[in-house]
Amino acid sequence: MQWNFEDIQKQAREDVGAVGDRQALEAFRLKYLGKKGLVAAIFSSLGTAQPVDKAAIGKGANDLRALVEQLLAERFGWVNSVKMTEERVDISLPGAGQSLGHSHILTQTMQEIVAVFEGMGFVTIETPEIETEFHNFTGLNIPVDHPSRDAFDTFYLDAEDPSAKGRRLLLRSHTSPGQVRIMKQHKPPMAVIVPGRVYRPDAVDASHSFMFHQIEGLLVDEKVQFSELKGLLTEFCKRFFGPKVIMRFRPHFFPFTEPSAEVDINAEILGIQRKKWLEILGCGMVNPKVFEGVGYPKGRYKGFAFGMGVERMAMLKYGINDIRLFYENDARFLKQF
Amino acid sequence: MKLSLNWLKDYIDPKLSTEELIERLTMAGLEVELVEASGADKVLELEITPNRPDCLSILGLAREIGAITGRSVNPPKIKKFKTKVLKDLVHIEDKKDCSRYIGTLIRDVQIKDAPQGMKARLSALGINAINNAVDITNFVLMETGQPLHAFDHDKLSGGKIIVRRAKAGETIVTLDGIERKLDASILVIADTQKPVAIAGIMGGRDTQISAGTRNILLESAHFDMGLIRRACRSLGLRSDSSYRFERNVNFDGVLTGADRATDLLLELAGGRLDGRKEALARTKNFAIKIPVKVLDIESLLGVKVTPAKAKAWLGKLGFKVTAKAGTLIVTPPGNRTDIGQDVDVIEEIARMIGFDRLPSKMPLIKTTNIPVDKRPRQVKEQIRGVLKARGVDEIITHSMINGKMLAKSNLADLPALRIFNPLNQDQEMMRPSMLPSMLQAAALNINRGQKDFRFFEFGKRYFADSEKETLGILLAGRRTHDWRAAKKEAVEIYDLKGVMEDVFRTLGIDPAYGANQLPALDPGCAASITFNGKYLGALGRIDRRVLNNWDIKNQDIYYAGLHLDEIFLLPAQTLKYQPISEFPAIVRDVSLAVKKGIEYSKVEGICLKNGGDILRSVQFIEQYLGDKIQPGNKGLVFSCHYQSNTRTLREDEVSAVHERIMQALILEISAVRR
Repeated sequence: MQWNFEDIQKQAREDVGAVGDRQALEAFRLKYLGKKGLVAAIFSSLGTAQPVDKAAIGKGANDLRALVEQLLAERFGWVNSVKMTEERVDISLPGAGQSLGHSHILTQTMQEIVAVFEGMGFVTIETPEIETEFHNFTGLNIPVDHPSRDAFDTFYLDAEDPSAKGRRLLLRSHTSPGQVRIMKQHKPPMAVIVPGRVYRPDAVDASHSFMFHQIEGLLVDEKVQFSELKGLLTEFCKRFFGPKVIMRFRPHFFPFTEPSAEVDINAEILGIQRKKWLEILGCGMVNPKVFEGVGYPKGRYKGFAFGMGVERMAMLKYGINDIRLFYENDARFLKQF
Repeated sequence: MKLSLNWLKDYIDPKLSTEELIERLTMAGLEVELVEASGADKVLELEITPNRPDCLSILGLAREIGAITGRSVNPPKIKKFKTKVLKDLVHIEDKKDCSRYIGTLIRDVQIKDAPQGMKARLSALGINAINNAVDITNFVLMETGQPLHAFDHDKLSGGKIIVRRAKAGETIVTLDGIERKLDASILVIADTQKPVAIAGIMGGRDTQISAGTRNILLESAHFDMGLIRRACRSLGLRSDSSYRFERNVNFDGVLTGADRATDLLLELAGGRLDGRKEALARTKNFAIKIPVKVLDIESLLGVKVTPAKAKAWLGKLGFKVTAKAGTLIVTPPGNRTDIGQDVDVIEEIARMIGFDRLPSKMPLIKTTNIPVDKRPRQVKEQIRGVLKARGVDEIITHSMINGKMLAKSNLADLPALRIFNPLNQDQEMMRPSMLPSMLQAAALNINRGQKDFRFFEFGKRYFADSEKETLGILLAGRRTHDWRAAKKEAVEIYDLKGVMEDVFRTLGIDPAYGANQLPALDPGCAASITFNGKYLGALGRIDRRVLNNWDIKNQDIYYAGLHLDEIFLLPAQTLKYQPISEFPAIVRDVSLAVKKGIEYSKVEGICLKNGGDILRSVQFIEQYLGDKIQPGNKGLVFSCHYQSNTRTLREDEVSAVHERIMQALILEISAVRR
């Protein structure tokens, strides 16, 4: 059989010029390079060819194959770049399927705070929201009829305290009763945090809510210093607010700690202009009267405690300006975090 | 407490700019909340913590500023008066209620305006000028912290004062013109006939100083702090005086206040001192001695403090200190009623050093030896993971609800733990169910046009003797947001059940579903969830009437409530590897018509019971409820998967078992092949 390689090559060039898409390109490839394609046919004709022609036919087939491969490569690029823009999937369309749900930002904030302290060796314990006067007040050195109770206006319940006849149960006004409960049951050393809901009869506005969340911390051992409280909270603030945070410890008063302090951070780090300092938490060395109240031997232990409002921390960190947003649960709020 | 800087300068010049003074006060624990201009004066608003009643006066603050700045304080010279004793002028019935009362009788006064300077001082602190006598009592109160009251002596029946408890049924019209009902829990100042003042809180209108007053009985006293506080609360009445009494006034200051006011009255209102009666329970403040070990200072603060330094700092605050053998014996001044134990003294030393100057280091945190039940958190985090993957958003609702919300949710029969002193009727009880507060969040979103939502909340239900951890789930709106789906179908019961099945699979629980017991749910589309006979909760479509009550129209909402406390008690799932068969499975599809009341679980049960050891699983494919089937019947399509772990099954043995199953279905539930 005679092959006119010149015409064949010309034909191949014409064929590839007519290729408009990937399907046609594949047809072109099969026509020349497929199992039943032209190149295969040329090679198979070698068997019946005259010995003198064999070299020329072999070379012709190889040249043709090389040409087609080259044309394929060129046309493939062209098909993809020009032609395919019309036929390609529109990858800018949204992906489908169920998108993830969101943890509430208060949960996330609480988990973040808890994780910092757990990373330092604290354990997390939850204690009840329904409390006794002893745990919420008396055991914390907050006597009945004392102005130090003013900071802790409290909801009482229509239920009697089984441990104190005639006294009502109440909703804890802070997480500090957790300190009393834990120390009554366990011996130091201990480093615990107590997160949870607390309640105060405050009229609701942008910065007050009758229900909110606190995280309490307590560390008790034989030797504990105020300087260690400072060190721990400084480390916490760096991890929570970032390494550039500036803090100050201000003397304050809490009946259950002595000395007591409030901690402020610089407002600048959170981009807040209207104030220089922002109060973030209260803390102090556990008052020996609290140790006495839980039955620890006099003078044996020292410790420190701290407490912070989760809403406040979240509001500061995320720039949330109204506490009511947390409990309203507008989906547009929930899905932001 | 308001601090006028001009007034302060009468006693001390701190030589600090206002900004510096604010900084120093704040860092000494007297936080400055506000600075206001009052004419040429500047007034600082200080937050005085309840342990520092000694700072509730200009002089008290001057002393504190003296201590923190090292500047000297020049208090006003207070004259001492020696005068005749008017034996019958004052009588205290119970000295536990009133440990000291000085009544001073000044005759022939002239009531007129106080001098301009005094009025300006008071006005800077927001106190209105009334007349010279009243202004003097207010001035001395602000100056020294000792509350005072001036009576028109001629209007006191019997011309004398009796300090006693009020009698039931007695009333008094106070200076603010309001008639107040009194009882035996309230201490009053009375004349021989009636109460003329509520002790420590407010005077009576009938005996107040008026333009015609000639003779004044000046009261300077010390009342029991708890008594005053309780009376304030029961009367709903507070005043500058009661604010100080309930925080405790200085026992020694009673005389100082009386003398200072007497001096000013004689000077500014003329008149003559007739005499005085002092009734008291003890002669003076108990001087307490507090031993403070020098080593304890270091072990509490983490900084070395020499006895000499400690003595110097405490001396600035007016503490008397003697040192011996490593121990300081400290006597605080009489007005520092907050200092009672060594740590109180150490705090004062820390304040004088400055909290910011104390060292800072990480504590050594030892392993806490408290057994912690990690199971609740583990369960909740597992559930949270499932729900988030299922596109459910977490909400946090109030744990306080009201009876109306409960009734609207058809749950009025649940026992509710009521709040004794609710803030308002909207939050009168602790929730006994998650549903009402979650529905409130649902209604809010629907009202704002957000009808597609999936919510969950981890919260508690509250009872008189317990609080129960609970999971609530709400599903509403479109089933899927897949834009490829041709039909925008709404969620229904199987979407919720699918979520719950994922939850249970993750927890390793295979619960049973029974007849619904939750009245908020539609009984035709709801079920109870039980496991090992324990009630775990419910799931279903919320009853249409409930949604109507919440003004939720045109859409259904599905709710599941899960009692987590029961789940916490179950052991954590332990997984064991199941060998994967190397041999092929044979799958036979089945399509049946069965009576509508027959549950699929029944069909599945019959298959499994008759499937021998080669039926691996039964997989549901679809349910047909249309009309192309005999009335009263429904179509069920499922497949039986046959497989062995040890050999390749033969077609004929599978067919034999499969036929046995089919016969059992026909026999037991009258199933018909379709």
